[in-house]
Amino acid sequence: MRHTESDLRALLTEHSQERAGREPSAHLGAIVRRGRRMRRTRQAVTAGAAAVLAVAAVGVGNDLLTGAPRADRAAAAQPPTHSAQVEPGPKLPDSLPVRLGAEKSDLSLIHSQRFETMGVARTVSFTPTSSSTGFKVVCDDPRAWVVTVLRLRGGESGGGTARCGESAGAHHDRLSAPSDWLKRPQSVQVWVFPPDAPVQEVAKGATGCPKKAKQCDETARLLWRPEVRERLSAKLGELPGRWAVGVYDRPAGTGSGPGGEPSAATGSPVDGASATHH
Amino acid sequence: MDDGFAEYVAHRHLQLCRMAYLLTRDWGTAEDLVQTALAKAWLAWRRIEGNPDPYVYRIIVNTHASWWRRLWRGEVPAETLPETADPRDLAAEVGERAALWSAIGTLSPRQRAVIVLHYFEGLTLTQVAGIVGCSLGTVKTQLSRALARLRVDPDIQAMNVEGAQR
Repeated sequence: MRHTESDLRALLTEHSQERAGREPSAHLGAIVRRGRRMRRTRQAVTAGAAAVLAVAAVGVGNDLLTGAPRADRAAAAQPPTHSAQVEPGPKLPDSLPVRLGAEKSDLSLIHSQRFETMGVARTVSFTPTSSSTGFKVVCDDPRAWVVTVLRLRGGESGGGTARCGESAGAHHDRLSAPSDWLKRPQSVQVWVFPPDAPVQEVAKGATGCPKKAKQCDETARLLWRPEVRERLSAKLGELPGRWAVGVYDRPAGTGSGPGGEPSAATGSPVDGASATHH
Repeated sequence: MDDGFAEYVAHRHLQLCRMAYLLTRDWGTAEDLVQTALAKAWLAWRRIEGNPDPYVYRIIVNTHASWWRRLWRGEVPAETLPETADPRDLAAEVGERAALWSAIGTLSPRQRAVIVLHYFEGLTLTQVAGIVGCSLGTVKTQLSRALARLRVDPDIQAMNVEGAQR
């Protein structure tokens, strides 16, 4: 059986109009907000200062120590799939430009780790060489959601939530790094979720968010809540999706400036870290 | 910054979503795609002269192609289209339409874009070439290959119309 062009036109029209439920509605505010985020990202890249989220300036929770273990246990049931041996995948930059006030500098890559799956918590351990340690996550899908959780000076948790292509990562400075930062190996916890993860649906169950959709509309904010991440992880399970996290720092011995300002980074990347799969 | 952007979104959003759905075959992804495209258009809005549609179409097509390359889509294309016994049979007709829709899903992003822009949006092949960023000859080649894969034969249209009128 062969079809005609009329058949094709009719079929396309028919399928384009058969949306079950509500019609797609335009959210001008969301469009403009996304446009502004893109502009900020482009400006940051242009200025050589992309990929930095000041840890202290981002939301503070208490989930690194309290919320993570359950999700980590769920992840432990999965086969070990972190894959430093896998070569293809998103590429991490060799250096991470950071800006603290008027000071700009590049941090060198000291450790990286690749993963083939997402949807579960990953903890990456490393040995920082200064208090200006930075982190960057890159993904095959730049729309994937990334949550980075770090321990802060006061013992609370900080970090950030962002689309992977929108400067996903975090960055310590002298004021935000815990006092024992340079005394022992440290870790960062990273969650990567698919772009279409049912965050709002899960959040409604986890937090009793009212049915009015707008009140559950901020995916990034919702993902920052440990209970939402845990439920989402349990619902999705481990999914295919390649991503990598890079740990960036200044070479050992350069130390922080008196104000915590990073000094110029020199030297080649050194792998002074170990990785843990949960 | 507005300069008619809000009006454009209000007037064109639904149609853009429909077009994006035909590319993505998923309403959630289609809405995300359109929102991304409109956000990019918003950034360049003041530099767009004349009808913004071609510019927005181009963003949608290119963004979809880049997402398509990165995503596992979970599609399992059929190697062959199911044959049907009697083309006049109603059930068979429904099966053929389903087969055609399924076959559209097996097209490459570029071929699907050419099909959607030409047959759904009603654009000329020259306009399509401008949007997908290739020559008219390349668009004709893509269209020809896509129609062959869909088993759509432009030459039999008139014959069928005549048959239907009898």
